[in-house]
Amino acid sequence: MAELGGNVKVKHGFKLNETEYDVGLSRAKNGYRLHVDGQTIPVNLIAGQEGDQILTTGSSVDHITLAVDGDDVYIHLDGESYHLQFEHSLQRLAEMSEGSAADSVKSTMPGSLVSLNVVEGDQVVTGQTILVMESMKMETTIVAPRDGVVETLHVAVGQTFDKDAVLVTLVPEEGEEK
Amino acid sequence: MKRIISALNTQSEEFKANYAHNKKNAEILKAKQEKARFERPQRDLDRLAKQNKMLVRDRLKRLLDPGTPFLELSTLAAGEAYGGEAPGSGCVTGIGIVAGREVMINAGDGSVKGGAWYPLTIKKVIRALDIAIENRLPVIHLCDSAGGFLPLQAEFFADKYYAGRIFRNQCVLSKMGVQQVSVVLGHCTAGGAYVPGLSDYNVIVRGTGAIFLAGPPLVKAATGEEVTVDELGGCDMHTTTSGTADYPASSEEEALAICRDIVGQFKTPNKARIEWQEPEDPYYDPDELYGVLPKDIKQQFDMREVIARIVDGSRFHEYQPKFGTSLICGYAHLWGYKIGILANNGVLFNDSSLKAAHFIQLCNQNRTPIVFLQNITGFMVGKAYEERGITKDGAKMLMAMTGCEVPKFTVMCHGSFGAGNYGMSGRAFDSRFLFTWPQHEISVMGAEQAANTLAEVKVRQLARAGETLTPEQIEEIRQPVVEEFKRKSSAYWSTSEIWDDGILDPVDTRNALGISISAALNTEIKDPSYGVFRL
Amino acid sequence: MIDTSKWPFDTVLVANRGEIAARILRTVKLLGLKSVVVYHRADLNTPAIALADVAVEITGDTPVAAYLDANQILAAAKETGAGAIHPGYGFLSENAGFCQAVTDAGIAFVGPTPEQIDLMGDKVRARAFVEKEGFPVAPSAIEDDDPATFLERAKALPLPLLIKPAAGGGGKGMRVVRDADQLEGEIERARSEGQRYFGDGRLYVEKFIENPRHIEVQVLGDSHGNVVHLFERECSVQRRFQKIVEETPSPALDDKMRTEICETAAGIARSAGYRNAGTVEFIFGESDGNAEFYFLETNTRLQVEHPVTEEITGKDLVAEQLRIAAGEPLGYTQEEITSQGHAIEFRIYAEDAAAGFTPTTGPILKWKVPTGEGVRMDAGIVEGAAVTAAFDPMLAKLVIRGANRDEARTRADAALRDLVLLGCKTNTAFLRRLLNHPAFIAGDVHTGFLDANPDIAAEPELPESQIHKLLAAAALSNRPIRDVTDLTPDLHAAIGEWQN
Repeated sequence: MAELGGNVKVKHGFKLNETEYDVGLSRAKNGYRLHVDGQTIPVNLIAGQEGDQILTTGSSVDHITLAVDGDDVYIHLDGESYHLQFEHSLQRLAEMSEGSAADSVKSTMPGSLVSLNVVEGDQVVTGQTILVMESMKMETTIVAPRDGVVETLHVAVGQTFDKDAVLVTLVPEEGEEK
Repeated sequence: MKRIISALNTQSEEFKANYAHNKKNAEILKAKQEKARFERPQRDLDRLAKQNKMLVRDRLKRLLDPGTPFLELSTLAAGEAYGGEAPGSGCVTGIGIVAGREVMINAGDGSVKGGAWYPLTIKKVIRALDIAIENRLPVIHLCDSAGGFLPLQAEFFADKYYAGRIFRNQCVLSKMGVQQVSVVLGHCTAGGAYVPGLSDYNVIVRGTGAIFLAGPPLVKAATGEEVTVDELGGCDMHTTTSGTADYPASSEEEALAICRDIVGQFKTPNKARIEWQEPEDPYYDPDELYGVLPKDIKQQFDMREVIARIVDGSRFHEYQPKFGTSLICGYAHLWGYKIGILANNGVLFNDSSLKAAHFIQLCNQNRTPIVFLQNITGFMVGKAYEERGITKDGAKMLMAMTGCEVPKFTVMCHGSFGAGNYGMSGRAFDSRFLFTWPQHEISVMGAEQAANTLAEVKVRQLARAGETLTPEQIEEIRQPVVEEFKRKSSAYWSTSEIWDDGILDPVDTRNALGISISAALNTEIKDPSYGVFRL
Repeated sequence: MIDTSKWPFDTVLVANRGEIAARILRTVKLLGLKSVVVYHRADLNTPAIALADVAVEITGDTPVAAYLDANQILAAAKETGAGAIHPGYGFLSENAGFCQAVTDAGIAFVGPTPEQIDLMGDKVRARAFVEKEGFPVAPSAIEDDDPATFLERAKALPLPLLIKPAAGGGGKGMRVVRDADQLEGEIERARSEGQRYFGDGRLYVEKFIENPRHIEVQVLGDSHGNVVHLFERECSVQRRFQKIVEETPSPALDDKMRTEICETAAGIARSAGYRNAGTVEFIFGESDGNAEFYFLETNTRLQVEHPVTEEITGKDLVAEQLRIAAGEPLGYTQEEITSQGHAIEFRIYAEDAAAGFTPTTGPILKWKVPTGEGVRMDAGIVEGAAVTAAFDPMLAKLVIRGANRDEARTRADAALRDLVLLGCKTNTAFLRRLLNHPAFIAGDVHTGFLDANPDIAAEPELPESQIHKLLAAAALSNRPIRDVTDLTPDLHAAIGEWQN
């Protein structure tokens, strides 16, 4: 298929010096092809000596040192070290759509509210405990599905509710891109 | 395996004339494809833009792995039908790579009558799903259809191979353990709702995607209930309440990315093993194929020149080079895969028919897929041949060919007339893939022959009534027959009717066959077994 | 070979961390002495712990606090039978109280006497002492001399002027005055800053030298009254008033000036009866076409940049310190000390030069040290550890020796190119831009050089080809991308982008 221009977030991305790059990689007969900026460049990376790697990009060959730490890639190329951050396509697209998908925190079972850990207007981060509910004689912790600000608390301590009841609504943080 | 020595003189006037002629044919094909893919009324494009929908080609670009091939099927389906209203028959099918896996794509084209299903749309989708069944290819449905094109409902609703067959095929795939993903990018109404309904994984786009048996107007008419599209069958309802769809997506891009991730979870196929060696480009430039094919459909040419421009290293092991020479049989490699080739170099005689039956059995015994290269005017007729049993020899060829357990592939290079079409694995004989070349003609007999036959019948009828016809009057009968025959035996008619899986630019044949063979190897190759050969 | 058998101690405790702890330990081991190091848990995975015979854990509210806790360090020394404590630089190295406590405990302090620290550690006192002894100090007015006449005396000085807090350091609270009318106001501002930073509002004002160079002289004094110098070091390239690159010999000095400045330093040390390795710092500049230098301060400890002196003199300064602490006489004369070749030190910092030299942190995923002729690496980190905000961001020092300055520079560029630290941003790329800058090549630098040339710190825009290389390497080493890409069947991979 023809190469795509523009910001195609279906592809994975890498962030380098605060700039996001859409990157596609495909296998070739010998090695790989990098699809970037509407260009297709033959590339390959093979193990070299002493933990180094040999990178071919088009017609140039470089000995590089590389370390991967989760989504962080560190590359020593031409005497300089660089840091790139991997951005999974689903992550990038989910970030674009934040604010609509997980606006509200719903109960997964009928139950009652044991404690509230936030008040309206609080900033919360993904995974932060918002409240504790009790259901089937078990306490369950409800956490923030994303970063945001607590807009409304819909239940009070002691109150009972049904499955899928909206417990908390979140709004994006001020200045946060939607 | 030695190299074919080409006898082609690329400096000759004949070569140059053929080249110019066939190159132009290829360009006409490309222009027709371009038009079918991209030329749409502005209002349809505006409507899609307003709905925030991508064009199907843009969706495919995002769905398919970068830097991988896409073998599109029946690009010019419905090209000669419906007054040209349904280019590509309003959908895109083909084999591509998603998340490293070979998949069948079935993508509705919302820019053609809102993705409405015409009879040929349904035929094309069924064919795509048949291919998926025959080759165990996972299917990705990109759903964006307004529903069946009602004025033509009598031609697509009720019969065995009409719309119901789509859903039947989906069920068969599921039963076989071949996975399907539906990405609901538009409305899936009525029957269309079963496409996601019968898929294993469904992604639906918030706002534009919807699934329901009847849309809001029909619901209102039926029960008086007033309901919005979103309430009735939108993303959030289906992913949180009904469970008809599995993954909500807030944009088409996200939906396609989720689809890619889902396909990434599929188990990798366990392919049938056949003889394989490191691929090698043909020694002779495939571009010279344009110069090989004569301008005149009736003119014979040596099919070895075609083989030499398709197979690895132009190397060919010819079987029985001195026997039944009107049919070339032998082994070659194509993109590394070992194949057996049957190629016509003239009419099928007794000996060539027996040679074919024998060679097909060899290929089945050593698990070698078979490629048929057709340029056939039929089996030889006449007293001497009937006495020698041309019918039963042809029957042996059909029996062996039909009984094949190895996958078959057919390319109609030039002419495909009469029973020769059958013997060389025509459409009815379940080749896994069947492609044609732009100049190809197909019919029960040649156009001139048919016109003469019909004129003859007419002349004899009138003679019994004591009337005679002037040569001018005979020509008046002949000419419309010739024209109608020519139109309906052309590659463009054939492909419009989906008698094939698409017309290929001859230089694309090698890649198309490579991708087809690779797809076919997703199924196991069973031990040979046949019906009864009339001896 | 140094004979340590008659020394009053056979075990040396190193009261420091990072590269300097490792550096000291190497010499201690080389001398056949037993080695002890104290460490905070945050430093468990560092070269010093690996090198020392014994490592004693110390604790603190913060990691830094542990290394400032004299009691724990003394306890560790007693527990391990250490007869000497080497304080390195920073932390307790110039703390007279600690020096006294060590001495009182009957342990040799590898450094000067508490009195010498007291005298030389206070800038104003040191300056007064040096002036009294007849050595050059910048024309100045010291508030403490007579607070009532301070402003008047300051106004009498030739412009421009520099106001400094008496208790200051690290450049904080310093103000330049070019207009006599602004002097009074600036003094008030400097006073309140001094109060804020150091809890001490006392000031002094001195002649400000435009584009000054920082030149310092290494001295050694034993407890028998012998003092020698080991030539100068130029440390003019600074950022945020901290040295980054130091070299010797200074490209700014001719033989005559060199001798003069070095002998002045030795003279100052001699007058103070100085014991230990020490550094006398000068400010050097030109005024009306004449070179001039003034005493700045004395550092009564081993300097960060001591290796360049070692490289050109062949003296192991830590060994000399230990010999002196053991009571041995120097045993050589000034004439016997020679300088050969040229040495440059580059401080490897975990920092983002382009972002105003702000400290960076991160895991040390790869750490490869350059090797080769004239390349020395004093490092305080190991692969697998992490750079945290707990300590100073200096990770290591790259010391390069060459037959001359050009050779040293060329070798330095190659060594910096080969130096690999992945996981935490460092200043190595910046150092390469610096050492290839025409002004640095010409040796034409001053302490404000980097401020005047911000382009050196700024990161140059990456060419597209470089970006593509990085993206290629990143994509090729990424599991989610590779896992899917590698599944592409051979045939489709070979055909590549294609559509019929």
